Amino acid sequence: MMRAASAVKRRRVASDPTLLVTVLILWVLLALFVLLPLGQLILQAFLDEGRFTLAPLLEVLADPTHRASFFNSLFLGASVGGFGTALGFLFAITAVRGGLARHWLTFLDAVVLLPLVSPPFTTSISIVFSFGPTGFISHDLLGLANVSPYGYWSTALAETLTYFPIAYLTLRPILAAIDPNLEEMAFSLGGSRWQVFRTVTLPLAVPGFANAFLLLFAASLADFATPLILAGNAFPVLPTQAYLQITGMFDFKGGAVLSLVLLVPAAAVFLLQRYWVGRRTYVTVTGKIGQRSRSKAISRFATVLLTAACFLVATTIVYFYGLLVFASFVVAFGANDTFTWNHYRVIFSEGLPAIRDTLIIAGIGMPLGGFYGVLVGYLIARRRFFSRQAMEIVAMINYALPGTIVGIGYLIAFNDPPIALTGGALIIIACYVFRYSPTGIRATVALLQQIDRSIEEASSSLGASSGQTFHRVTLPLIAPAFFAGLGIVFIRSMTAISATIFLVSLSWTLITVRILENMTELALGPAAAFSVFVVVAVFVVISLLSAVLARLRAPTASAAARSLLGG
Amino acid sequence: MKILRVAAISVACWLASLAAVYAADPLNVYTIWPENYARPMFEEFEKATGIKVNFLRFSSGEALARVIAEKNNPRIDVLFGGPVETFAAGIKEGIFDSYKSPSFDKLQPRFKEASGQWTAIADDPLVFMTNTAFLKSHNLQPPTSWDDLLNPAYKNMLQMADARTSGTAVTRIFSVLEVNKRDEDKAFTYLKKLRQNVQVYTKSGGGGTLPVGLGQAGGGIFFIVDALETRNKGYDITISFPKEGIGAAAEAIALIKGAKHPAEAKKLIDFATSADMQSKLSAHKIGFVPANPDVKTDPAVAAVLKGANIIQIDDEYAGANRKRIVDRWVKEVLPAQ
Repeated sequence: MMRAASAVKRRRVASDPTLLVTVLILWVLLALFVLLPLGQLILQAFLDEGRFTLAPLLEVLADPTHRASFFNSLFLGASVGGFGTALGFLFAITAVRGGLARHWLTFLDAVVLLPLVSPPFTTSISIVFSFGPTGFISHDLLGLANVSPYGYWSTALAETLTYFPIAYLTLRPILAAIDPNLEEMAFSLGGSRWQVFRTVTLPLAVPGFANAFLLLFAASLADFATPLILAGNAFPVLPTQAYLQITGMFDFKGGAVLSLVLLVPAAAVFLLQRYWVGRRTYVTVTGKIGQRSRSKAISRFATVLLTAACFLVATTIVYFYGLLVFASFVVAFGANDTFTWNHYRVIFSEGLPAIRDTLIIAGIGMPLGGFYGVLVGYLIARRRFFSRQAMEIVAMINYALPGTIVGIGYLIAFNDPPIALTGGALIIIACYVFRYSPTGIRATVALLQQIDRSIEEASSSLGASSGQTFHRVTLPLIAPAFFAGLGIVFIRSMTAISATIFLVSLSWTLITVRILENMTELALGPAAAFSVFVVVAVFVVISLLSAVLARLRAPTASAAARSLLGG
Repeated sequence: MKILRVAAISVACWLASLAAVYAADPLNVYTIWPENYARPMFEEFEKATGIKVNFLRFSSGEALARVIAEKNNPRIDVLFGGPVETFAAGIKEGIFDSYKSPSFDKLQPRFKEASGQWTAIADDPLVFMTNTAFLKSHNLQPPTSWDDLLNPAYKNMLQMADARTSGTAVTRIFSVLEVNKRDEDKAFTYLKKLRQNVQVYTKSGGGGTLPVGLGQAGGGIFFIVDALETRNKGYDITISFPKEGIGAAAEAIALIKGAKHPAEAKKLIDFATSADMQSKLSAHKIGFVPANPDVKTDPAVAAVLKGANIIQIDDEYAGANRKRIVDRWVKEVLPAQ
């Protein structure tokens, strides 16, 4: 006991040289890649020839288009949050209570994963071709003429379909954790199905709803590629405006100010999620969990309706991706439907540098991001040191900020000496690591919190050195978080665009940027082929990681997927 | 410690990649021509000189913004392709060096900047491009006047480029200004009316061609090179010209100030302004009109252009007023609906 106590004490001492050096290094990195870009962005927006000024901000606020885009962004975010949460709930309740056969569940899970692992605008392009004036759905099926595929509705639809899986992955475990016996009890007390659903099931899921809503709201707020293709000109949104302001009008100041306006709702969402929702989880701990027989909570009829609705949505998603696969195999989509391998030949010859660069960047970023996530998560959860809480928050900043802000901040901070990183791979890797590893940090913290500190202390008291304890006890515990961190950095390296579109250069370009470029030119075929390649590559890597996770006996595959995709 | 090993390997990879970044590159170019036009030309250049071109494609506005941002530490040697007004705007920012290639003296005055800050490599008239099936189903004749595009039949069915990112759009707006004798208020009244028929303004100049080809849009205003490319792909489109006249943009090339490979850069400019490159356009089915008088326009392109009223846009006027006009377009035309 004495040894254990002194070991704990020793661990708390900040003079531990290894700890001190590690913390110092992390702070230098965080200052460089998180605080400096954000600070530069704020300076850019509020400093004019060395003097503080609010003029650019007031100018932006006075411009009716910019004001409109601010409210449009909020409105779009709220819509996507609402629709997406509803859709996620539909899928979650069907999966948990629908009594579907295993293979159908697997099918739904795979379809749900599809939008999350593909470049964000792939659904956009399918929507353009399905809902345009001569689109397959709007014209051929519904017989509508002169429909415009651009504007609020199509943007909201595309973003909902892209992001609702986040809501599904958030809500499903919560619904699954609700003990059917509780509902059972409510029934035996004479409640009707609707009463039980309304007064028992729904209230238990409320924190999940709030969390899902906020996650979707933030995702929509940060999405710039979907509105760039779909929003048209009548529905401008902030991230797209900021992008056009900088790349089109070469107005860094205006772009910086616009992104900072975006910062306000993003920060609000982050704080709400962290301090309000994060602390409310209802767990239905009833001692012994009753036998998980099929719940009667939902009538047969409702089950059929729910299942039918899910499969309708799933079919829509499959159809959108089918369209994409089709476009990647025909000479000229809509004009010449002859089969061809040519687009794949193009992406593997002319497009090869982009593929190679992306894979190298993802390959370097993956281990770094995984290691960084586990290290920071371990320090936050297990060590006591000065500035621990500050580090926890600072490490989350780039994750919570919309990508446009991060990208512009990096561009401004690292464009000129002494730290001229633009044009290299390092800046893109750093962007990915510091933006997407916080998922790994959270996973590590969550895993370590599940395990009582006393296990490590037991190891110490049994005579193990702190190194042995870390190696033998702590490390195996956090290995799943490490692999989750690897996965998320890889997926985002293959699919994210909002931040890195500002950072690509002659020597280092990315597949997603090529896709967007192809889509805005004439080259639909290569864009589709690139997208198919990304989806396949990500599925392969996720499967490999899942296999590793399964061998490490991660709690459940869905928990792993959740931590993979939680951002 | 598996993690440590992985970390060590990744650090090694990282260092290797850093080395790759700082290795000397061949010749670095931003191209405003889409990849499918630029790549064959760079391959011809490599075949002729052995110099490899490392390039990245941007819309003209994006390319200009990049070059200006990199002014203190230029990453490229040559800015390739793209309408002259983009280059005129660049001169004001002091991003180019003067260089006169051997072909310089042969070129018409409008195909070169007097001091050699840029030189034209091709000419690119704008056209009205419409979907043939759309015209038929709406009983429309191909538009032959700017006012034809105001026909309510086109409501929400036109696509064209956004002036914030695309040189095509700026050339289009200056065409309207020239047709209206530079009466800005009159031109903007027209542009606002035209706005009512526009479905979407696309980021890049050719962005609307595929939707028009597919019938998702009825028509639009594009450069001839993009219109011909759409037709070559197999889409049934109709090309016509307004009788009042429509502008053409000379496509230019320029040497970047502070270029790290000036000798190679000059070779590329020599090649691009000469018959060496421009005679290859036809073989690659790229529908630009050559700027060099020694090269014959491809017969198919010449046939399309026959009888078209192509007007000149004054580069000085366009360069001097570009920013103001684009700002006004963004403020007045874009939200007018």
